[in-house]
Amino acid sequence: MRNFTIIRRTALVAALALTSTAFAEPADAADLLALREQVRALEQQLKIISRQLEIKEEAATAAAATTPKITVNDKGFTLASPDGANSIKLRGLVQLDSRLFFSDGGGVANNAFILRRARLISEGQLAKNYSFQLVTDFGGSSVIIQDANFTVAIDKSLQFKFGKFKSPVGLELLQSDSWTFFNERSIVTNLVPNRDLGVQASGDLFGGRVNYAAGVFNGLGDGASTTNADFDNEKDVVGRVIATPFKNDAGSPVQGLSFGVSASSGREKTASGRTAGYKTDGQQTFFTYAATTIADGRNWRVSPQLDYRLGAFGAIGEYVVSGINVRPSPTGLKTELQNKAWQLAAGYVLTGEDSSYNGVSPRTNFDWSAGTWGAFEIVARYAAVKVDDAAFPLYAAAASNADRAKAFGLGFNWYLSKAVAFKIDGYQTRFGFSPLAPAVPTTQILRQKEQAFLSRFQLSF
Amino acid sequence: MKFKTLLLVALAIATGSVAGAKTIELLNVSYDPTRELYTDYNAAFAKYWKAKTGDDIVVKQSHGGSGKQARSLIDGLQGDVATLALAADIDALYDNAKLLPADWQKRLPNNSTPYTSTIVFLVRKGNPKAIKDWNDLVKPGVSVVTPNPKTSGGARWNYLAAWAYAKHRDGSDDAAKKFVAALFKNVPVLDSGARGSTTTFVQRAIGDVAISWENEAFLALKEFGADKFEIVVPSLSILAEPPVAIVDKVVKKKGTTEVAKGYLEYLYSDEGQDIAGRNFYRPRNPSAATKYANVFPQLQLVTIDAEFGGWTSAQKTHFADGGVFDQIYAK
Repeated sequence: MRNFTIIRRTALVAALALTSTAFAEPADAADLLALREQVRALEQQLKIISRQLEIKEEAATAAAATTPKITVNDKGFTLASPDGANSIKLRGLVQLDSRLFFSDGGGVANNAFILRRARLISEGQLAKNYSFQLVTDFGGSSVIIQDANFTVAIDKSLQFKFGKFKSPVGLELLQSDSWTFFNERSIVTNLVPNRDLGVQASGDLFGGRVNYAAGVFNGLGDGASTTNADFDNEKDVVGRVIATPFKNDAGSPVQGLSFGVSASSGREKTASGRTAGYKTDGQQTFFTYAATTIADGRNWRVSPQLDYRLGAFGAIGEYVVSGINVRPSPTGLKTELQNKAWQLAAGYVLTGEDSSYNGVSPRTNFDWSAGTWGAFEIVARYAAVKVDDAAFPLYAAAASNADRAKAFGLGFNWYLSKAVAFKIDGYQTRFGFSPLAPAVPTTQILRQKEQAFLSRFQLSF
Repeated sequence: MKFKTLLLVALAIATGSVAGAKTIELLNVSYDPTRELYTDYNAAFAKYWKAKTGDDIVVKQSHGGSGKQARSLIDGLQGDVATLALAADIDALYDNAKLLPADWQKRLPNNSTPYTSTIVFLVRKGNPKAIKDWNDLVKPGVSVVTPNPKTSGGARWNYLAAWAYAKHRDGSDDAAKKFVAALFKNVPVLDSGARGSTTTFVQRAIGDVAISWENEAFLALKEFGADKFEIVVPSLSILAEPPVAIVDKVVKKKGTTEVAKGYLEYLYSDEGQDIAGRNFYRPRNPSAATKYANVFPQLQLVTIDAEFGGWTSAQKTHFADGGVFDQIYAK
């Protein structure tokens, strides 16, 4: 009986098991098929979405190849063709200065706020190899076109520049107005030509280790800029060669050393060619030729120069000797005068950023809420100018001019961002005089050393 | 002979030899599926031209959706010749930029179409969705791959072939419009060109059927294996006539008129026609057509002129902005 019961139970369990298997198997197979179909459909959907994304990316890439590029950053506003061959860039430079003079005997109205520069800069490139620059300055009493030139680039080693631009002589003068160590360039810049009209060939040689520039210009007096007119038929030939021999020696302490020489030679025969005044760091005139003095004959300049950068430290040095043949009147005695000047300036970026000929790029921008401060730099400079003794008294009045100036300056620069800076400088300039000069100069500002404090708020992009 | 004469002779020989060793570069702006055809043809033409003139020929190729390629030429791409998917795209070169004369199609035989093709279906091996004709493409659950008619010449042929089938079957444009709208509801991805569409179907494994140029379908079988795909020939399709033309404005500027003309004319030569047949384009030349007759299936083919009044009319009605395609696809 017990066995029967066991058999019955076993049979029942077996029957149930068989029944459940018989019924469960077809149900599982259908589920499996449905699941497989679902997986296949999902897989298709996934593939479709992936492909749609792929097509969108291809379309975006194709569109990018035909869409002009607009770039807005702290270097300006740029509109460029998709291939980069054509572009136009708008930049600006605004410098608001404060000038304060101490112990200058009174009577000279020289403490002032001035809009030193307010420039709108348009630069661009056409068909890859042609570029142009137009710089309009609204900062003075009248609107001036500072630069108007175009360049034809043959390759890196040869480019031709035509128009109005800086004559390639003075090291510090060739540096951008935004990035000099001090608010005002040193008194050495008095002896080199500024912006002139002409044509120049320039380029990089030996992998960029040598840079050259050579050109023919109308010719300018010391420190002068062209008025877009030429007063004689004579022209100046100007050249400059700068070597950076260790440029590619990464890690070398002399990697950032550049040195070279510039020179100019020409002839001038003009009443206005050589009578520009020499100015102090505070931009007050300490020497000028007599109004009747004219240039007549050969002029020349030679200027050895160097630039050195090592991390946060930077320094520049230049020496200029400027020779000019002058007459006190159209029929007066012709004499060649040689005026000389030199400077050594250095800076150190306290916050550790690299010192550079092209300005300091702060690692952080000044942001009160974020607690970041931008970059700080301290700078120092010594410079001197010596006017030829033979200039007095025939070509320049000994009583109203200094024949030498020695200037020392200290400054502090705060780069709130790459585009915004606040700079303060203190200058002291001592004057010397010709033995023919009276005990007390007739020019008020020359009766004592010049002590000037210049501050500047600058926006440059 | 005096020294001066000798010098002149030497100079003449020197300049003659230099002048005789020209290397001429052509740019062929073509549509998507012709890559392989023109790779073969360019090599043959270079050999022929070298033998004929002594000049070396380098032919560069540019491929993309036919409409896009026409736009590139209009925008300034310096193509010497245009070998596009349909006449409307070459007409656009005249309409928008006067790059060639209005009667460009009369300058070469057969309306400047040295080869023809048609539209067929490419399906996966075994034809799992049992696709036999156009009406199978509108069935629910059938995923169809075809490019975008706004950018692809091949896609426009596909669209018009489907339209012609429906019109022949149901007898009206309204019915054809509903049919094509239903077909495009089954299209999950719109590539910009025919080659992209082939990639979608063949390499990305999307869709049950690709509406394809006949030559592109044959190429897919050849490249990816007849064990993976098969061709289905519908009951009715369209005679696709991809035209070729010299871009006059460019060749005049580059001084390549003669060689560009020779390049297109050679497409009609025995060798040119054989290369077309070898690359699965239907040759015009009777002897080449006979040679490849067993490759190409026979089917009822309608023409663009008879069915749609020519490309200008078809383009305006169906593919212009706001046209029938925009209406059905926007829905």
